[in-house]
Amino acid sequence: MQNPPITRQEDAAKLRRNRPFSATARAWLFLTPSMLFLAVLIVASLLVLRMSVGTKGAEWSGFSLDSYAQLFEPYYLKSLLLTLRLALISAVIAVVLAIPVGYTMARLKSPLIRRVFLAAVLLPLLVNLLLQSYGWLVILGPAGMLNQALKGMGLITRPIMMLYNQNGVLMGLVQTAFPLAVLPIASAMRGISRSYEEAAATLGASRFQVFRQVILPMSLPGIITGATLVFAYNASSFVVPLLLGGRRVPMLAVMVHDQIAPLMNWPAASAAGVVLIITTLAIMTLSEFVTGRRRRMLEASQ
Amino acid sequence: MSKKIRRSQPLLPGETGRFAAIVSAVILFLAVTPILTMIVMSFSGSANLDFPPSSYSLQWYKAAWQTFVSPDESDVLSLGKAMTTSLMVACLTMIFATLIAVPASYALTRCEFRGKAFAMQLMSLPLVFPMVVLGLALLLVFDSLPFHLSTSRLVIAHVILALPFVIKNCTASMMTIGSEVEEAAQMLGASPTRAIVDVVVPLMKSGILAGMLLAFIVSFNEFTVTYFLYNIDVMTVPIWMYSRTVSSLDPTVFSFAVLIVLIDFVLIWALEKLVGEGGVSF
Repeated sequence: MQNPPITRQEDAAKLRRNRPFSATARAWLFLTPSMLFLAVLIVASLLVLRMSVGTKGAEWSGFSLDSYAQLFEPYYLKSLLLTLRLALISAVIAVVLAIPVGYTMARLKSPLIRRVFLAAVLLPLLVNLLLQSYGWLVILGPAGMLNQALKGMGLITRPIMMLYNQNGVLMGLVQTAFPLAVLPIASAMRGISRSYEEAAATLGASRFQVFRQVILPMSLPGIITGATLVFAYNASSFVVPLLLGGRRVPMLAVMVHDQIAPLMNWPAASAAGVVLIITTLAIMTLSEFVTGRRRRMLEASQ
Repeated sequence: MSKKIRRSQPLLPGETGRFAAIVSAVILFLAVTPILTMIVMSFSGSANLDFPPSSYSLQWYKAAWQTFVSPDESDVLSLGKAMTTSLMVACLTMIFATLIAVPASYALTRCEFRGKAFAMQLMSLPLVFPMVVLGLALLLVFDSLPFHLSTSRLVIAHVILALPFVIKNCTASMMTIGSEVEEAAQMLGASPTRAIVDVVVPLMKSGILAGMLLAFIVSFNEFTVTYFLYNIDVMTVPIWMYSRTVSSLDPTVFSFAVLIVLIDFVLIWALEKLVGEGGVSF
């Protein structure tokens, strides 16, 4: 865990003399073990990048952009658009649902209720997605809970098909990524001092006005972070479209796997993977830029 | 109704009204519905997936127990073996992730150094990195190695995935410890290393424990990356369940699932107790 050599050999006087260098060196020494693991991640992504310009059969030596050109074929383009659309819609729905939950969680007083709420948020995030998809199969199936409930209310006469199409996948995406929206929003709202709300109320704002004009704008960085996380998470979602979409909702991540498992087309899988990485990094950078500016503005105004 | 509440308990600004609380409770209930549905289904007395089940029994638990004690020939791998692999990988992940995260979080909170912002960004990369690509990429790496790794490649993958969670929790708890305790220890003659090991680490115990629990939960429930990396000898429980249900969904899986959810719930509850007021840091 620790690295005794450096601290033992280090002479205190020497340490003081060239502090900037040793401080940096010491810090990086502490970081080395975790950086080794992250280096695996970086090297692995570079290999994917290299593989994506390889050719089938000569993965490591060939060079061609065929795999990327292939992504512009209608089938793949449709899959890409479908992925982006489902990720976007699920991010919007998840954030809209997460705002009241985050606000309530930030203001809860009873410790027990707070723990129950937090457990309800963490369970969908941490419990194996596979298990949750099994639950969805029961809910969405032709004789499942949702169809029975709709029939009971007299809204439908025949069971509607919700499994193996986009609606079912969308529901699964919203539910599994929901915690990622709640956590940053709740923490942003917890950071807003109640005196702002009191001040607004003293000045005659209604409860709704306080929420809309004080709470929402001040927690915007958290809301954007939440939306970004949900989008990035769902854009590369694999288990949910695999189980709830069958093969009929070909999101990009499922296609990446299909290219390997039955087709053994490593370059095509890698090219699709590179597109996923770029999408994720682009959306994260954009969000970082927007929230960073927003946060500076808030800080300047306070 | 609402008038009565207002009279007995006026709402101050900054308090959530009953309406918002009920809306949130309903949304959260919906968020855990799939898990609850599965728990109810595991007690079903019928053989189909109709909900609510027409009768209730423990038959699927009995069937699940049978699979556990006497695995049939058709199973490629017994559940017992998958369970052992899962627990071993989760424990190793927990240990390694903690061992590397504690010094890293010390550097990230206590030291000012060049490249700190970069290091921080890098540490949270696994959180947003597409899991499918991570699986694909690690498969490429491990396949191009000259030697063969089996369980350890799952551990490496899981440590990468768990690292941001452990580091976030360790840094959060290290932030709360002032640097003066360390200075005091050094002034009393402890070497810098000893000051860290004997003073700082015990003080941040709860954060480390929370990180360990999260690492265990993440590894124990991980599916996507493992799905790329497993082979027939090394299978974790989620993979075992998937391979069993890939053709048809049989309700014995629900009983296993309930067991796993139960384990997760206990761990999450313990985690919340450890982390307390501030909530889990992500």
